[in-house]
Amino acid sequence: MFYETFKIAINSLGRNKIRTLLSMLGIIIGVGAVIAVISVASGSQAQVTGSISSMGSNLITINPGISSGNFGKLSSTASDQFTLELGRAIEEFSPDVKRVIPQNQSSGYFMVDDKNYQASLVGTTAEYQEVNNFKPQIGKFFSEYDLNNKTNTIVLGSEIVDELYEDNNPVGDKITYYTNEKHYVFKVIGVMEEKDRGITGNLNDSGYIPITTYLSSIGNSKYINSFMAQAESSEKADNAVKEIEYFLAKYFESEDNFKIFSQDQILSTINEVTGTMTLMISGIAAISLLVGGIGIMNIMLVSVTERTREIGIRKALGAKRYYILIQFLLEATIMSIIGGIIGIIFGSIGSYFISQLGGWPFIVETSSILLAVGFSMSVGIFFGIYPALKASKLDPVDALSYE
Amino acid sequence: MIEVENLTKIYKNGNVEVKALKEVSFKIKKGEILSIMGPSGSGKSTLMNLLGFLDTPTSGKYYLRGKDVSGLGENKLAELRNDYVGFVFQQFNLLGRTTVLHNVELPLIYGGYSKKERREIAKDLLEKVGLGHRLKHFPNEISGGQKQRVAIARALANNPDLILADEPTGNLDTATGESIMDLFHDLNEQGHTIVLVTHEENIAEHARRKISLIDGEIRKDEVFV
Repeated sequence: MFYETFKIAINSLGRNKIRTLLSMLGIIIGVGAVIAVISVASGSQAQVTGSISSMGSNLITINPGISSGNFGKLSSTASDQFTLELGRAIEEFSPDVKRVIPQNQSSGYFMVDDKNYQASLVGTTAEYQEVNNFKPQIGKFFSEYDLNNKTNTIVLGSEIVDELYEDNNPVGDKITYYTNEKHYVFKVIGVMEEKDRGITGNLNDSGYIPITTYLSSIGNSKYINSFMAQAESSEKADNAVKEIEYFLAKYFESEDNFKIFSQDQILSTINEVTGTMTLMISGIAAISLLVGGIGIMNIMLVSVTERTREIGIRKALGAKRYYILIQFLLEATIMSIIGGIIGIIFGSIGSYFISQLGGWPFIVETSSILLAVGFSMSVGIFFGIYPALKASKLDPVDALSYE
Repeated sequence: MIEVENLTKIYKNGNVEVKALKEVSFKIKKGEILSIMGPSGSGKSTLMNLLGFLDTPTSGKYYLRGKDVSGLGENKLAELRNDYVGFVFQQFNLLGRTTVLHNVELPLIYGGYSKKERREIAKDLLEKVGLGHRLKHFPNEISGGQKQRVAIARALANNPDLILADEPTGNLDTATGESIMDLFHDLNEQGHTIVLVTHEENIAEHARRKISLIDGEIRKDEVFV
């Protein structure tokens, strides 16, 4: 009997193919959106998490705090707080911190002959290589000697070399850096390997010079923009953050002069952002499912009215109430489940192409497919129950005389 | 086999009460062929709906095989319709989107027969009414007389106690109508109990007994020899 009802439901849906398809559209779009959003979110998240763990989760960034503006003073970054000596002091005080390196950065143009390229200049120490797991491919990085003697040497990121040099080997050449209407000339001593874009941004479009050279020429001050600290291991990162916080709070007698970010914090921030986005778009998808459900209810009500006479005949031949109820409920449910399946297919195809564009892994989890099918089935049952009840309650005499 | 006592049906339309049937009593014996005659508004359709369990009386008793079946619930009535009654309508009332064979199978589906049994019974009945060659046709592909034969086959499917025919020849030309009436005669001779509801005198003449209804009351209950 259930099989018969199922066949009857399929047949009557098949009779109005266009109408059935149109009423499924809301479900298709809703489910497709849910599948695509969840897939894109988990794919991009996997990519970010992967790049962070490849860099090691033991990196800690220390930035100056931002003072709040009051009494006519503008809010500003407390840029005159950090010194090279402070960096060394942190390193010595904190047992779980392996290294602390300074990092000053400016943006400008690198120029070779008649070509120029916009990029940034980073002043740091030789330990930058170890902290970022970043090595020169050609030539060498600058040394303690260069730091002590403030030499005008530079190591270039691979993108700058690709843009400005045809032979890809500028070691020994001179390069001009232009910023704040001043020219600085450096001697190229190395080219860095290409590094995947990670959480710290693109390392390939920077030139690297000794921090001492940076401070005396471009910076023209003794203050450091930010520190990067490396914990002894990723397990000790949390402890290292606490030690640095304790030390700096003592040093400044305030907690407002600095800000500390660990990779873990950045990771959880990103997870939070993706989570919020997923929730938001899922909300929109839920509205689409709701509208889709109403669409199905509408078409089922039309169908019940159209088939009043059929219902009357079936009842006259001995169909009980629940039989009519199940017939119409099945129609609504089948419609929403098929809509859900089409939605899953379209959503998967869509997120596959997005993942190709974004360059992250294509992930469609079984749980999200089950969620989509379950949800669309519930929509079908929920919005199908009223029309089906209406059909089952029709009076046979009235239904038979319906024109 | 069937006995009704003081069957009354009152329709309420707002504050207006319409007495469609007033204390009607009669008996139908097994194997009888009888007609219920009357002009429109005489209450014959109401009586047919009550006899066929499509509707429930406002008051009065209905005994089927000696059992009181008045005042039963919807599901019980659906079972009674399925087991004991076969309907033949003026408008044929076939399901247009399914085959002739499937139409005849419908009461058997609701009766819980297996697919194989259904097929056999439906085929046999369609052969009996002369449509063994039209099993896979759709109702819009056959003539009016053939449609009514399908409807009769369908009415017979569950081997009911009673066949209720409501103006069975109303939508047919005279010659086709005659052949349908001949079919009813044949079925009656094979032992089926048949009630013809009609307002046409010449159809009523086919029956051996005629109950005349006017204004919801039985005027005459005649038996012809």
